[in-house]
Amino acid sequence: MRLLTLLAIAIAFLSPAAFGQSTNPVSPAPGNPGGMPPGTRQSAPGVPAPRQANQADRAFINAAATGGLAEVDLGRFAAQQGASRAVTEFAQRMVRDHSAANDRLSALAKANGIAAPDKLDEEHKAMRTKLEQFSGPQFDRAYIEGQIIDHQKTAQLLEYEIGSGENAELKDLASDLLPTVLGHLRMAQAIASEMAQRAAAETPRTERPSERR
Amino acid sequence: MSKYPKIAAALAVASLIAVAALADPLPPDATYRPLPTQPLDVVKALDEAQKSQVMQRQQALLEQRYDLSNRPIANVMMSGGRKPVQDGVRVRLPAGVTWDSLSAMSPDEIRQRGLLPAAFMPLPHVKQATGGQVFPNQQIDEINRQESRNIRRFDVDFDLPDQFTPEFPPPIFLTSHPELGDVSHGQLLTIKNYYQLMIGIITPVQMEGMRLLLTPFPQEEFNQTEDRKSADQSLGVTCLDCHANFHTNAAFHQTPDVRPQAARFRLDTVSLRGMFNQQIHGSKRSLRSIEDFTQFEQRTAYFNGDHVSAQRKGVHLPDRFDQVPMMAQMQNIIDFPPAPKLDPLSRLDPSKATQQELEGERVFLGKGQCAQCHVPQTSFLDNNMHDLKLERFYNVGQTVNGLVALADGPIKTFTLRGIKDSPPYMHDGRLLTLADTVEFFNLVLGLKLTQEEKDSLVAYMLTL
Repeated sequence: MRLLTLLAIAIAFLSPAAFGQSTNPVSPAPGNPGGMPPGTRQSAPGVPAPRQANQADRAFINAAATGGLAEVDLGRFAAQQGASRAVTEFAQRMVRDHSAANDRLSALAKANGIAAPDKLDEEHKAMRTKLEQFSGPQFDRAYIEGQIIDHQKTAQLLEYEIGSGENAELKDLASDLLPTVLGHLRMAQAIASEMAQRAAAETPRTERPSERR
Repeated sequence: MSKYPKIAAALAVASLIAVAALADPLPPDATYRPLPTQPLDVVKALDEAQKSQVMQRQQALLEQRYDLSNRPIANVMMSGGRKPVQDGVRVRLPAGVTWDSLSAMSPDEIRQRGLLPAAFMPLPHVKQATGGQVFPNQQIDEINRQESRNIRRFDVDFDLPDQFTPEFPPPIFLTSHPELGDVSHGQLLTIKNYYQLMIGIITPVQMEGMRLLLTPFPQEEFNQTEDRKSADQSLGVTCLDCHANFHTNAAFHQTPDVRPQAARFRLDTVSLRGMFNQQIHGSKRSLRSIEDFTQFEQRTAYFNGDHVSAQRKGVHLPDRFDQVPMMAQMQNIIDFPPAPKLDPLSRLDPSKATQQELEGERVFLGKGQCAQCHVPQTSFLDNNMHDLKLERFYNVGQTVNGLVALADGPIKTFTLRGIKDSPPYMHDGRLLTLADTVEFFNLVLGLKLTQEEKDSLVAYMLTL
């Protein structure tokens, strides 16, 4: 990633090309003009001028802001309530990483004149209510299970924006975030399988289903 | 007793998951092809104006990844004798490492330091967001000359230099007539010439199969609707537009098996040579017969795995009881090119092979572990899919020219018979020469081959 970033910076300085016209392969790739909304302002043929958003961009802002808010809210909660160190550290990391991403996203939403949700959605409110009923390992398990699903969904959302969005800044943001989100997913999966192994080890032998006769 | 609260908790978690999985799904165009929003003349004008920029981006990527110079191996031609085979490792190394220093590092270290050569990562389509079939110019020109059918796109061109594609037109070898050798007469098979070339050589059933394989049918980019990339209302494309002369012309596409669009990896056309011994088909789908594959290509190569879009553009579904078997039977008599140094069990004949080639075979069967999957006796196939787990070496999720580089997952084993005729290599064509493939597997499988061993492997593969 660092290499890519350096390369991007280097090429940005070298290239006099107008915004969104770069030949640098790591800059946002041109879309299919067949899907461009009629009346889109263009900085070059087929290249949407900055600060416009198509339907994919709007869907992305909405879903990404919703997910980001929930990540921070649930992360704060889990950082306090989590039983294991792995879970509280993961939760702290979610707060840190997603707060930074949320700031970038809300700045872009504002700059593009798109209203982003600022309250927890029903789905995550329900999740929070559920989590409040749990404690100890049960809490950890429920939080991490939810995190795996949320990060799977976020990864697909980012890929969708990279392919279908037209706003170069938003596509750039999605490209920047995707490796991190996939990293979070791997971390959550590792914690889940660790917890499953520990739970199996702690279960009395007579209760292990595979050994029942 | 203590079991019950656990079950209740498990149920609570399960219901929570169920609720979460239902909320805020992605829009339908994350899976289905969206309808165009603009008239064709507007789209065409924009695509044409954008084309040089699109090609420059891909060119920049290729030059960053590869040494694209024309450096053939002396005296080694592809089977038809029309094109030399390219020499040497073409993958560019990151600054500060050598192939040896790289192969001494662990996958973790290579990933953390970002040292995997970029060319080992997935190769993007020339225009990822649009995707679709892209033919090399020789194919476009010859189809235009013979059939006056247009398979040129107005938005993109073929991207790889000519020296890294198979010879054109490729020779055709038949299992039913090994004594004849190449039966192509140096021509590209088309709907205009197949009959006179094949009468008296193949059966009526094979002839009808071939006719169907050469008949154009509507395709996602070549059809009569406004959602196309050919200037005219297109007659469509044929199976052999990509599988030229039942081999390949390196035409490329995107996998039909992945969504969303940014995650669809590039596919290099596979040769149909040796189809009779290939038990699984499709790099990802592992279809179990050539009949299945032939039938389903209308849903995949033609329409990207989107039957909804296909219906609108005019899908051709070959009849399973009659047409599909005839198409399959035609494909099943396509042979590999002759390999005079191989014995009947596909081992080198020591009286014909050089010392270097024999050494290459020893490495292939031993230290190189190639024969674990590319089993000589079964046409260098194992009829399995394998996951090389390349993601051990790089952070997945990086976006390059619109392609999100993700783990490849299991991909089917491709044959190595006639492999010198089939550049570029790997399912997406990310490697340009056989020497590149040796460096790739040396790293990925942790083989620690010496330079002599690497060179001998290349010499051996040239005999196949």
